[in-house]
Amino acid sequence: MAVEYPFSKVIGDMMYASHQNPITDCLQCGTCSGTCPAIEYMDFSPRKIIGMIRANLKEDVLSSNTYWSCASCYHCTVRCPAGIDIAEMMYALKRYSMWKSQFKEGLIGPDFSESFVKMIVNSGRSYEPILAATYLPKYSASAIVQEALTASGLVFSGKMNLFPKKIKRIKNLQNVVRRILPLGETS
Amino acid sequence: MTEKIGVYVCHCGSNIAGVVTVAEVSQWAGEELASEGVVISRDYKFMCSSLGQELIQKDIQEMGLTRVVVAACSPHLHEATFRTACKNAGLNPYLCELVSIREQDSWVHTDKEAATQKAKAIISGGVARVAHHESLEPLRVPIHPDTLVVGGGIAGIQAALEIADAGFHVYLVEKEPSIGGHMAQFDKTFPTLDCSACILTPKMVQVGSHPNITLLTWSEVTKVDGYVGSFAVTINKKARYVNTDTCTGCGICWEKCPKKVRDEVFEVGLGNRKAVYTPFPQAVPKYPVIDAPNCTYFIKGTCKACEKFCPTGAINFEQKDEEITIPVGNIILATGYDLFDAKRIPQYGYGRLENVFTSLEFERLSNAAGPTGGNIVLRDGKTVPKAVAIVHCVGSRDQNYNPYCSSICCMQSLKFAHLVHERTGAEVYNFYIDIRTPSKGYEEFYNRLLEEGTNFVRGKVAEISSVARVPEEQGKLVIQVEDTLIGKQRRIPVDMVILSTGIQARHDAKEVAKMFGISCSADNWYIERHPKLDPIATMTDGIYIAGCVQGPKDIPASVAQGAAAAARVLGKIQQKEISLEPVRATVNQEQCSGCRICNDLCPFNAILFHEETMVSEVNPALCQGCGTCVAGCPAGAISGTGFSNDQILSQINGLLLLRITDQEYA
Repeated sequence: MAVEYPFSKVIGDMMYASHQNPITDCLQCGTCSGTCPAIEYMDFSPRKIIGMIRANLKEDVLSSNTYWSCASCYHCTVRCPAGIDIAEMMYALKRYSMWKSQFKEGLIGPDFSESFVKMIVNSGRSYEPILAATYLPKYSASAIVQEALTASGLVFSGKMNLFPKKIKRIKNLQNVVRRILPLGETS
Repeated sequence: MTEKIGVYVCHCGSNIAGVVTVAEVSQWAGEELASEGVVISRDYKFMCSSLGQELIQKDIQEMGLTRVVVAACSPHLHEATFRTACKNAGLNPYLCELVSIREQDSWVHTDKEAATQKAKAIISGGVARVAHHESLEPLRVPIHPDTLVVGGGIAGIQAALEIADAGFHVYLVEKEPSIGGHMAQFDKTFPTLDCSACILTPKMVQVGSHPNITLLTWSEVTKVDGYVGSFAVTINKKARYVNTDTCTGCGICWEKCPKKVRDEVFEVGLGNRKAVYTPFPQAVPKYPVIDAPNCTYFIKGTCKACEKFCPTGAINFEQKDEEITIPVGNIILATGYDLFDAKRIPQYGYGRLENVFTSLEFERLSNAAGPTGGNIVLRDGKTVPKAVAIVHCVGSRDQNYNPYCSSICCMQSLKFAHLVHERTGAEVYNFYIDIRTPSKGYEEFYNRLLEEGTNFVRGKVAEISSVARVPEEQGKLVIQVEDTLIGKQRRIPVDMVILSTGIQARHDAKEVAKMFGISCSADNWYIERHPKLDPIATMTDGIYIAGCVQGPKDIPASVAQGAAAAARVLGKIQQKEISLEPVRATVNQEQCSGCRICNDLCPFNAILFHEETMVSEVNPALCQGCGTCVAGCPAGAISGTGFSNDQILSQINGLLLLRITDQEYA
């Protein structure tokens, strides 16, 4: 019979790779939330998310946009006085919610993450026009026009290429990534 | 077998009997170990009780037992109890062996059958070992009545005064020009807001004038030899360039001295002093010192203004450092603490943002005798702040810096908040993770601050910056923090930030510990003999610790520990001589090859080498019987009393014997 582990333990286990302290060490001091540059886009602060995971509020955590809004700047991880890798925790939540297909309907986060990974695997570079395209359906018409104007301005001034450039020896990068991700299926 | 051995197996309530079938073990020992010399084997509910001890004593007297094995708890707990019981019954205490069937058996096993078998093996080993024990007599060492106190802060002052008042001589060594320590730098003390100097300086004066205290300021201990009762301590008296016999402390020299020097020690860089100086007006002793690296005469070869104006001719530029060696019986270490270096946390901007202060800087700022005369102003020296932020836990409770709680910062921050409020009327924000006010009158002080209208924001400050995002933040320091109680990120503009910096072990704590032969924790605090029952002594006999050198603590706790250390020393002095455990290593000089491997292995520096005969010898008064040299000697020339090869090998044989018989049973 499969044992049902508490949500807090599952996420804790998924953070194993971070090699830092478990989320049970959290003092709830708020350094992470105070530091976070993306906090205004989050419905719950990183500190609250840790508290919610510890309280096993699985549904509330998974339906929040906090972990999709994380910009992975790792500033919280660097400053955390309890030595918790908070950015890694955000990744654990992303992985878990995609694994269980349990993210909130209508969030752009999962799509964005997926197209970002695909783009990196295919070209080896981050290319904004493709990322922006992921968002376009969510934008209002005026926003799309504004984005397009900015982008074409950048292209004309030579700051941005019209088509994504691939890095040399992209196969080597893909081989590296293949060690951790099942590439054949996704790319 | 000529020895008559008694075996006593303890139930320890259900601690042992819950897992080990004690009656069976006892019966087995009486029958199966009779060939080893066991003449009686008993079990009892609590062997350490007076009834249990009487049981052993009665057997010794009536049956003429020559050896005793007690199977109970760890020797750490009750070895002394049972040895004393044997001694009272007329048996040499070292003929009693305590084997642990609790810590090493019942507490760590759940299988009752196997645990019972293991208990038998352990007892068998003890019986085999005890047959090889010898009668030992404790070593007697006389105690020198003088005491050395290192560090002239409040803990050291208290310890020195207690001992001196009891009529014994004390040497008080302080590396700064004056005693007083950190407490002399403070303005007010929490929670009663007593003036720090008012309560400290009378004690300093007492030290300075006490007939039983030899005060050695501007001095440092450089070498410690010897052992409890007779230490020989070498002290370097740094050149003062002032003749203390003729100096009256009139102060004309530092008035006339043309050289201004930033005072990085007492004024923490906020004020100036002269090149010839006393750190503060109430300094004890009153004699100044000349800071040679900054003195114009020592740099350029001319000036000598102090010498010209000194009315008693006390200035002496020819003075040299002087080394003295003093004999003492006991040593108290009260070397205090260092402040956490706030520059290590870049996001708090200390050293980069002008109006970010450390706690010690604020102490000087608020001190009436300090550089601003007690006016709380910004770094420009005149602007009174309208909003002040006090940041708790700076460098403490943080895995990136010091993981421990510095224990004083909460109360210190509350005190700061009160002083700012009282003297400037500014809006005060305290940023905390937890408020810890666990001593007498502390929580009441916290309540007082709440009533005064201090803003308490629960959240560790993420960042302090001078970059404005909105017009109200223009020209201010902005505290960025999550107010965790309302769950919002806040940006609070203030004029002044006080970092309540934590405290940490002295930068040279490790070297000093090595010199005195004691050990440090991972955070470099000195380790006490027992964290609860003996927080004053160290593992090295005759060396005691007091104050923050043991760990962060406030003034009342430092004073209590200083007095406690003095009481312990007085107890030692009154004994006149002490007896030391005779469990010591000895070198067989015939077998010693003079390789000197043991010399470096010994953690207590107890082994000396005779150059003429090329052999090593163990100083029995210093040796703690740890056995490191015994194991390390390649020639097998060192044996430990109480841990001879015979004893160890026969104990192993005893343990193994059971395994063989067990197989036969199976």
